[in-house]
Amino acid sequence: MDEARIHGLIDDARSGCYSRREILKRGAALGLSAPAMAALVMGVVPVKALAQGAENPLGVDPAAPLDVVIFKGGFGDEYAINVNENLYGKLYPNAKITYAGIQRLGEQLQPRFVAGEPPDVIDNSGAGNLDNASLVAEGQLADLADLMAAPAYDTEGKTFAESLAPGSQDTGVYNGTQYLLNWALTVYGVWYNDAFMKERGYTYPKTWDEMMTLSEEIKGSGVAPWVTTGVHPQYVRQFVFDQMLWKHDPQALVNIDNLEADAWKAPAVADVLEALYMLTDKGYFLQGWEGLDHTQSQNEWLQGKAVFIPVGTWLENEMKGSIPPGFEMVVAPTPSLPGDKIPFEGILASAGEPFIVPAQGKNVQGGKEWLRLLFSKEGGRFFSENTKSLSVVQGSAEGLELGTAFASAQAALQAAGENTFIGRYQDWYKDLADEAKAQMASMLQKQASIEEFQDAVQEMADTVKDDESIPKYQREL
Amino acid sequence: MHHHKYRLIIPFLLPAALLYGVFVVWPYAQAIYVSLTSWRGVSANRPFVGLDNYQRLWEDDRFLEALSRNGQLLIVLPLVTIAIALTFAALFTQGGQAIRGAAFYRIVFFFPQIIPAVIVGILWSYVYTPNIGLLNGILGGVGLDGLKRSWLTDPTTVLWAIVAVAIWSSVGFYMVIFIASMQSIPTSFYEAAVLDGATRWSSFKDITLPLIWESIRTSVIYLAIAALDFFILVIVVSGGSTTMGATRAEVAALYLYNQAFDKNRWGYASAIGVVLLLLTLLLSVIIMRATRRETYQF
Repeated sequence: MDEARIHGLIDDARSGCYSRREILKRGAALGLSAPAMAALVMGVVPVKALAQGAENPLGVDPAAPLDVVIFKGGFGDEYAINVNENLYGKLYPNAKITYAGIQRLGEQLQPRFVAGEPPDVIDNSGAGNLDNASLVAEGQLADLADLMAAPAYDTEGKTFAESLAPGSQDTGVYNGTQYLLNWALTVYGVWYNDAFMKERGYTYPKTWDEMMTLSEEIKGSGVAPWVTTGVHPQYVRQFVFDQMLWKHDPQALVNIDNLEADAWKAPAVADVLEALYMLTDKGYFLQGWEGLDHTQSQNEWLQGKAVFIPVGTWLENEMKGSIPPGFEMVVAPTPSLPGDKIPFEGILASAGEPFIVPAQGKNVQGGKEWLRLLFSKEGGRFFSENTKSLSVVQGSAEGLELGTAFASAQAALQAAGENTFIGRYQDWYKDLADEAKAQMASMLQKQASIEEFQDAVQEMADTVKDDESIPKYQREL
Repeated sequence: MHHHKYRLIIPFLLPAALLYGVFVVWPYAQAIYVSLTSWRGVSANRPFVGLDNYQRLWEDDRFLEALSRNGQLLIVLPLVTIAIALTFAALFTQGGQAIRGAAFYRIVFFFPQIIPAVIVGILWSYVYTPNIGLLNGILGGVGLDGLKRSWLTDPTTVLWAIVAVAIWSSVGFYMVIFIASMQSIPTSFYEAAVLDGATRWSSFKDITLPLIWESIRTSVIYLAIAALDFFILVIVVSGGSTTMGATRAEVAALYLYNQAFDKNRWGYASAIGVVLLLLTLLLSVIIMRATRRETYQF
């Protein structure tokens, strides 16, 4: 590239004498990359930022300070400190990194966003985080397209996007733009104690009919077949209902996400609700389940009072210290219903722990670079060893021996292949997910019929759809 | 000479007025302004929407339902709390006819008041836990298994289970207030009444009640304000703002909290706050007017 012409262009852009369109046209003629162009139009970026290359594909200013804020929750924050010290800090030794590992990010970061002084990269997760949909709607997040297209840090020959688990970043897309990057790969399914199952000679049922037969047998032996948390009924709503509905008819779940007319009254929804209703009708839930919170229900399960429990892969980390010796926790997909369109192996999986780069940050490209380094094989492997959880980086957990739960989640993902999915309505339309959650509790406590469930939730879906103040999103199968 | 007076008053008044202005008046004014916007709370962008939020509120079934729970509390909480507190106060004090061990009971019944509300809430959430909780344990122990339930998620019991906690924790406080005003009534009044053949009940009704009316009146206002709020106990006893129990016992202040912190509708939440403020003021005035009586001097 002709450096003198670039410098001329930068000066002209800063002078403010030329229209944005004119500057863009001249920049394109010089073959500048998208981030460089964006920086150019902003007219505030130092010349160094344009020094892109294989080593620095995002054009990071090596001396610009970086402000990192991480949710320090179930995963701790050692994996993030590792990036600060061993990756970003080594590549850009002149950049001063300001770091904070905190909880309840909303309360602490809200004033900074309102004042226009947000950090450069944030792990916006955990209870009391900032609402991502609102941040998107307010234009507070940087478009991550250039990062997605940049070369991966340590996966040869692949772009950053290609180096991550397929579909794992879909939930970070709002109306076609990638704003969030999901870090931890979570598998949601039905958990059981493999040692107990083997001892009794049981195998995990692949169909709902077999599940009912086995549940009857288990109940007869004086143990509750199922337990879940009634205090947080979104567990059964998402991990069982969503999963079974998607496998039964994927389009039905997509229609729900898209607020299609009468999506909740579809026959597929009724099929799944009828199956779930059997659990309560035949008394397969542990007595008192409706009053148990998530850790209480998990404790009952660990004590062997119930056999099956729907949870996500954080289970082992959450309950460590309460797991009896010899307990072999493993996860499996929900059993199949007759006429399912997705095979049994299909499993609800999503990437969570979303990271964001605020648009108003002082070092936007640095924030993206920090993410490129975290989302690397090196960063992912450190995370898995440190937390016994999977990251979205493909191949980063190869060869790690981390116990039955970790192994079974990996095997389940392997078996599922392309057949992984996650519903979006709980992120997009909280009012709708709330109503579905409450109605799920009512139905499983026999206070609402299947039809009443469908009517009430559909009514809320219509209310949300008609409410112009709620931003709407669309997805495709 | 007047300006000399002000020269003294103003320096004394100014710091307090300043603090009051910054920490009370200004936030109120801000909340009222925010209630006229659709602020999402994550940027400086606060689009002005006029009275839209108030109109939505008027048509919001979930808000009206929450408010109706406050309405039920408004009746039950003052009535039951004051009835129990008065009974205890009378038993432990009235006209020197206090029951045996009164001093001991007075102290014990005041205990819950010195425990912070959050601790009270957490303790009771354990009492109500279905499988290992004290309440179901006792019910099972005395053979009343049929009454066992998940108190904090059952839609018919959750609100009242939490109300019971509120009453338990506040009875002691009102009892002490009533005891204090009862003790200021000269015992000679009761002695005279007994000579005239008054029963224990009639001396309570005709001597005690009228003479402690001012305390009762104040208590009703306190409890009414508590009933209009009732946020802390619901959120703590039920285990969190979005738990099933909290949903089924959702009061207006909790709805406000969820709209702001869970749904990021800060403008709407502020409108709820303003409505609650007006309701509280209105209610105080009504109660003051309705309970106004001639005060007796003695």
